[in-house]
Amino acid sequence: MLNRTRLILCSITLFLIAFPTADVRSEEKQNKPELPPAAERKVDFIKDIQPIFAESCYMCHAADTQEAGLRLDARKDAFNGGDTGRVIVKGDSAKSPLIHFVARIDSDKVMPPEDEGDPLTAEQVGLLRAWIDQGADWPDSVALPEEGDPWADHWSFQPIARPDVPDVKNSLWVRNPIDAFILRKLEAEKVDPSPVASRPTLIRRLSLDLLGLPPTPEEVQAFVYDERPDAYERLVERLLASPHFGERWGRHWLDLARYADSDGYEKDRPRPWAWRYRNWVIDAINADMPFDQFTIEQLAGDLLPNATLDQQIATGFHRNTLTNTEGGTDKEEDRVKQVVDRVNTTGAVWLGMTVGCAQCHSHKYDPLKQREYYGLFAFYNSDKEVNIPAPLPQELAKYNAAKAKFDKELAPLKAALDTYEKNQLPQKQAAWEKKLAATTGPLGWTVTKPVSFTSAGGGTLTKQDDKSLLASGVKPVKDVYSVVLNTELKQVTGIRLEVLTDDSLPNKGNSRADDGKFVISEFIITVAPTGDPTKVKTVALQNPTTSVPQDKKLPITAAIDGKDDTGWSVDTKNVKPGRYVATFQIKDDVKLDQNATLTVAIKQLAGNSATLGRFRLAVTGAEREKIAQLIPDHTLDVLTIAADRRTPEQQKIVDNYFRSIDSEHLKLKAAVDAQVAKTPKYPPTLAQTLAKNDEARKNHLLIRGDFLRKGDEVEHHTPDFMHDLPAETKAPSRLDLAHWLMAPENPLTARVTVNRIWKNLLGRAIVPTEDDFGTRGDPPSHPQLLDWLASEMIAQGWSRKQMIRTIVNSATYRQSSNYRPELVSRDPANAWLARQNRFRLEAEVIRDSFLAACGLLARDIGGPSVKPPLPADIAALGYAGGVKWQESKGKDRYRRGLYIFFQRTVPYPMLATFDAPESNVTCTRRERSNTPLQSLTLLNDPVFFETAQSLGQRAAARHPQDKTARLRYAFQLCMARFPTEEEYKQLDALYDDMLTRVKDNNDAMDNLIGDPKLPADNRAETAASVAVARIIMNLDEFVTRE
Amino acid sequence: MDPLRQHLTQTRRDFLATSASGLGTLALASLLQQDGLLASESSDPLATKQPHFAPKAKNCIFIFMAGAPSQLDLFDPKPKLNELHGKPLPESLTKNVRFAFIQKESAVLIGSKRKFKPHGECGMELSDVLPNLGTCADDIALIRSMRSTQFNHHPGQLLMTSGVPRFGFPSVGSWLNYGLGTASRDLPGYVVLTSGRGASGGASNWTSGFLPSTYQGVLFRNKGEPVLNLNNPGGVSMEMQKKGLETLSSLNQARYERIRDPEIASRISSYELAYRMQTAAPDLIDLSGETKATLDAYGVGRTEEGMKFGRGGGKGTYHSFSTNCLLARRLVERGVRFTNIIHASWDHHSNLNQEIEFNAKMADQPVAALIKDLKERGLLDETLVVWGCEFGRTPLGENRGKREANTGRDHHPFAFSLFMAGGGIKGGQVYGRSDEVGWGIDEDPVEVNDLHATMLHLFGIDHLKLTVRFNGRDVRLTDVAGNVVPGLLA
Repeated sequence: MLNRTRLILCSITLFLIAFPTADVRSEEKQNKPELPPAAERKVDFIKDIQPIFAESCYMCHAADTQEAGLRLDARKDAFNGGDTGRVIVKGDSAKSPLIHFVARIDSDKVMPPEDEGDPLTAEQVGLLRAWIDQGADWPDSVALPEEGDPWADHWSFQPIARPDVPDVKNSLWVRNPIDAFILRKLEAEKVDPSPVASRPTLIRRLSLDLLGLPPTPEEVQAFVYDERPDAYERLVERLLASPHFGERWGRHWLDLARYADSDGYEKDRPRPWAWRYRNWVIDAINADMPFDQFTIEQLAGDLLPNATLDQQIATGFHRNTLTNTEGGTDKEEDRVKQVVDRVNTTGAVWLGMTVGCAQCHSHKYDPLKQREYYGLFAFYNSDKEVNIPAPLPQELAKYNAAKAKFDKELAPLKAALDTYEKNQLPQKQAAWEKKLAATTGPLGWTVTKPVSFTSAGGGTLTKQDDKSLLASGVKPVKDVYSVVLNTELKQVTGIRLEVLTDDSLPNKGNSRADDGKFVISEFIITVAPTGDPTKVKTVALQNPTTSVPQDKKLPITAAIDGKDDTGWSVDTKNVKPGRYVATFQIKDDVKLDQNATLTVAIKQLAGNSATLGRFRLAVTGAEREKIAQLIPDHTLDVLTIAADRRTPEQQKIVDNYFRSIDSEHLKLKAAVDAQVAKTPKYPPTLAQTLAKNDEARKNHLLIRGDFLRKGDEVEHHTPDFMHDLPAETKAPSRLDLAHWLMAPENPLTARVTVNRIWKNLLGRAIVPTEDDFGTRGDPPSHPQLLDWLASEMIAQGWSRKQMIRTIVNSATYRQSSNYRPELVSRDPANAWLARQNRFRLEAEVIRDSFLAACGLLARDIGGPSVKPPLPADIAALGYAGGVKWQESKGKDRYRRGLYIFFQRTVPYPMLATFDAPESNVTCTRRERSNTPLQSLTLLNDPVFFETAQSLGQRAAARHPQDKTARLRYAFQLCMARFPTEEEYKQLDALYDDMLTRVKDNNDAMDNLIGDPKLPADNRAETAASVAVARIIMNLDEFVTRE
Repeated sequence: MDPLRQHLTQTRRDFLATSASGLGTLALASLLQQDGLLASESSDPLATKQPHFAPKAKNCIFIFMAGAPSQLDLFDPKPKLNELHGKPLPESLTKNVRFAFIQKESAVLIGSKRKFKPHGECGMELSDVLPNLGTCADDIALIRSMRSTQFNHHPGQLLMTSGVPRFGFPSVGSWLNYGLGTASRDLPGYVVLTSGRGASGGASNWTSGFLPSTYQGVLFRNKGEPVLNLNNPGGVSMEMQKKGLETLSSLNQARYERIRDPEIASRISSYELAYRMQTAAPDLIDLSGETKATLDAYGVGRTEEGMKFGRGGGKGTYHSFSTNCLLARRLVERGVRFTNIIHASWDHHSNLNQEIEFNAKMADQPVAALIKDLKERGLLDETLVVWGCEFGRTPLGENRGKREANTGRDHHPFAFSLFMAGGGIKGGQVYGRSDEVGWGIDEDPVEVNDLHATMLHLFGIDHLKLTVRFNGRDVRLTDVAGNVVPGLLA
């Protein structure tokens, strides 16, 4: 039946897709059967229309089933339409898809479908048409079907009412209301609760549940011998206050947040700052941030007024979504996938419901319609991902201190410069200008007009208005430019080459090459008497200078070294295109007269068209030592204008030039610059956050979830089956969505949340389908307890710690977890909680327990992810060897499991083996499998063997002579209790056996001990201790809570 | 309680029924029985279970050619395409189509350099780079009308391996082990063998998704330590291991007697299987018992002569892939339900001719040898061999931006080829037809969900009935679609 319905659903959906409202008009023009005429009388909905719906449509489109999301028994839904849009266009029956379907206009798109019901008569269609044409009046009295909404009765959608605490017979057992609810059921079944667990068991249980770490022997001793009546409650308080609490409960939250350290998909790039959000989670949980605030900050922290850095970091929750950077991925498709993931995660985490199905069609079993899905989608559709600077408090403090010191050092240097600029510079500059006016001889370069010019490679050089030459046309790989100059100077001492940019050149740069590179292999000047080229003489050049950073391998000197295979170029990788200047001194004076010609040859032989695109030549006759001080052209131009007639911009040019040659100014400026170069760097730490896109995107229903097939436009709205947004909400945002989720009217979030907390402490949830509070999920085993807890959580201001405190202080929690064979057949799942549950520890807690027991654990909290040793060929499994695993050093190898770098395509094997989530989608429930690979990991994985070595060494070092004490100590470090006599006997026998085997085997001894630096004493005993420690650590008890 | 939970709870009752322990196990099973904890039927999660109807196939070897080999150069000859070489496709075909890299406006068809000729009695046409597979033609059902919905590798691979192009769903091998268990007592029921560079999907290609990790693929290496952490740490001899595990078992049993949680019994069993695997897995990869003729037939020890590009998985790939094919047969002999051979180097956006020649040379001989070897040993009838990939490649040449020569093909989900042999497949046939240039499908399209439905059918499973309740939905391998393809069945 199920599958049949699915098939029908699909076919109907396709049918609707192919027939959206917008297409109706064009369809009409084609040769299709005509619509029957509308009835000509006034139509009454109740008398004429509803019976047609009931007879022909309700089977698939009413309260029970809503194929294609269409419901025709409720007014609001009927007018809203189905998954693909409206079917009734009020006032225009010809445009109403409903009419086209029932009139069977297109044989592929008929309603009712073949085999599902008889076709409507022409008269019936006519009535429907008339009803629509007359305005589709649907009276209030029948706006809703008689039987009401089928979802209305579902337990989880009912308001949370605080139930009265029941009366029970054995009231002495009851420590708080939780116990009354549990005991009522037990008494009804005539079953006694289990006795309270032993103190060692209790402290181990609490430590693992609240911190994810086993207690130390000292902690166990202290608790076991604590005779105060509130010893247990004191222990609970100590654990709740521990900073490791945030790690343990933060990891639970990270499952939901699908936290990982990489993008996912093929490329799976690392996310180096993902951990900043993890830090936030740990801190927030340690600070017991109320769950409503915790929610609001993660979903919409960026939208809070004056959002703090922490509130922005919190939005990293929805940055854990995967990103596909595989070549050829459609960016919009991936963005839509990300939004879908955010909607689905929100539904799963806060509503305990799978909303994802509604992405493609209205939900089959739950009341979420497809258009409502896209109403939720709209809340996340106009976001963007931004990484913001997010220094840790300690980083910021360090930076602020360094910055204050720096500022203090900079201030006097700046003051000195300012004072000089204000008090002395103007006078000096005035004096300089005055002197300049009196100077004879050239002050600057003389731009020289080229008389003739050629490109040996066949390019075209064209003279520009500014006397520069621009290359175009043929683009030779190599080239030699020859330019004949005409100058009025009688004596030339220097020559200047300006390399210029032009819009016609690649990237508007300096060169003809696409990469902007040019190389001047040789820069050569020749002189010849006009008309007698045979007497041509090369002029020697010297002391070249350049205005820009040069390519280290291609210095300016190489342009005049006489070698064609060397040359000058600019460091184009780091220098932007612009005006570059090179100057050369002429070694011996060149005297020119009317009859001499100066020719410049620019050899450019590096290949790849590394040739000049535009350049200009200038000469000077100034004394050689003054060439370097020649004033730049534009400055010189301005200087010719009288000071009082210069524009401010022009004056600025002169000022800047003078500052660049005034030695005192240069000195003071250099001191400032040197200090500025030491500016402390702002901490590099970033955080991945979500922010509102500058432009709001239009929101559409996506037909079949396909990002290319947009259906009707959809407004932001929350699902109809739940409470409404506050009426005054205008332009709803993510922040409104977050507030809506945490509103007291929401019956789901509090139930879902306490159910998860309960599961983490009792091993079994009250609603066993934690991920499905909908109609297909399991009902709660203790509905009133669930509601009491939910109302209690709200009453306690959404305090997570208070909820945990209440649960762990209950007598229910404190029970022994020993199996009760007599109850197995009556209550196989232990739903009544006549005992606590035993369960295998989670992947991270297993790692942490091994490291803690042996003493290797690094207890640092927070910070970047770490990379403990990984088998060599595991990382290679990532796509095309793209995954790099740089093993962490020192104590980072021994950090807790939640800090292990989570590479989505190559999950850390130990975590995957022990059912840690893959973190591709939100994980609301971890599996707890039991496989031989787990056994092999704990026995043989080098990381775990190292913990066995440390445990063996630790015990041997503590009790070097006393075997019994040593073995008992190793056992106690793991189990928080001493071995029983029988257990000890077996360990003792194993120890003796191992000792015999290693005693005469130095290799085995060395390998078992591992650390060659350990003392030579008692080596065999240490080795045997390691071998036994390894077995102790593999006991079921050690990896099980209990 | 949902069916999965219920199943798991039951299965944990006891894990001992089938254990031929290498350790001195006490009579735990009877203890459990006394307590009424032992379910009536065997409840090891991997114990063999009855299918819905009589199966043809017992085991599956799925050879996953990740990256998407060009069907036009291996399996699907297109004389018309060669004729139209250099011509554009009519716009009507490419109009609403996306490409990963092709520039639509200037793209042209490129013919295949390969020569096709008929093989076997059935006359199946195959490319000249597959001479050995040609000799198996009469055992092969070649599907030339496969269709996918996915354009990019990772989602495409997820669809082909788990029936859903999204994360978190169990792969085919997990479903089979969940539904049928495995006959292998000393090895996992789902083994993965890889060669070449990593596939786009990484470990998500053999994930158990929302099923417990009991059902996930276990990666075996074909040299050194075949399974992660299989070897004892230095200093721990096998005798010491045995001795230690005996104590471990005994202490766990004592605890079981006190606490009576069946999960403890299950853990004891896991350690016993782990111990057996420590012997069985090295034995698996120890090929010293194979004849030289067998090794040569598979091409074990081959080198890559004339390798020019260093691609296709690099040096040692031929040997590694050949070894994996041979190991697949050895896994079938040991009752392993599902073996996944993954080779990820078929993404030929450029240099198609040289690269495909290199890869085909790697795959042709060992895959053909595997089919023949299984047949000779009488194992082919019950072993389904599949050559699969996430999609195919375009008849258009890949003219991505700035690339001067048109030497490769882009991703193409609309029509591609794969083949199956053995396990109840009707060999010696070509199923379905793509159009004359290989753009779309002319006859008998086979969707990925159809392929999976057919595979499950061969194992005696009704794909509509093998479901697990997850997130409020009865999830199945074939998602919400899938039809068995009767034409493929013997």
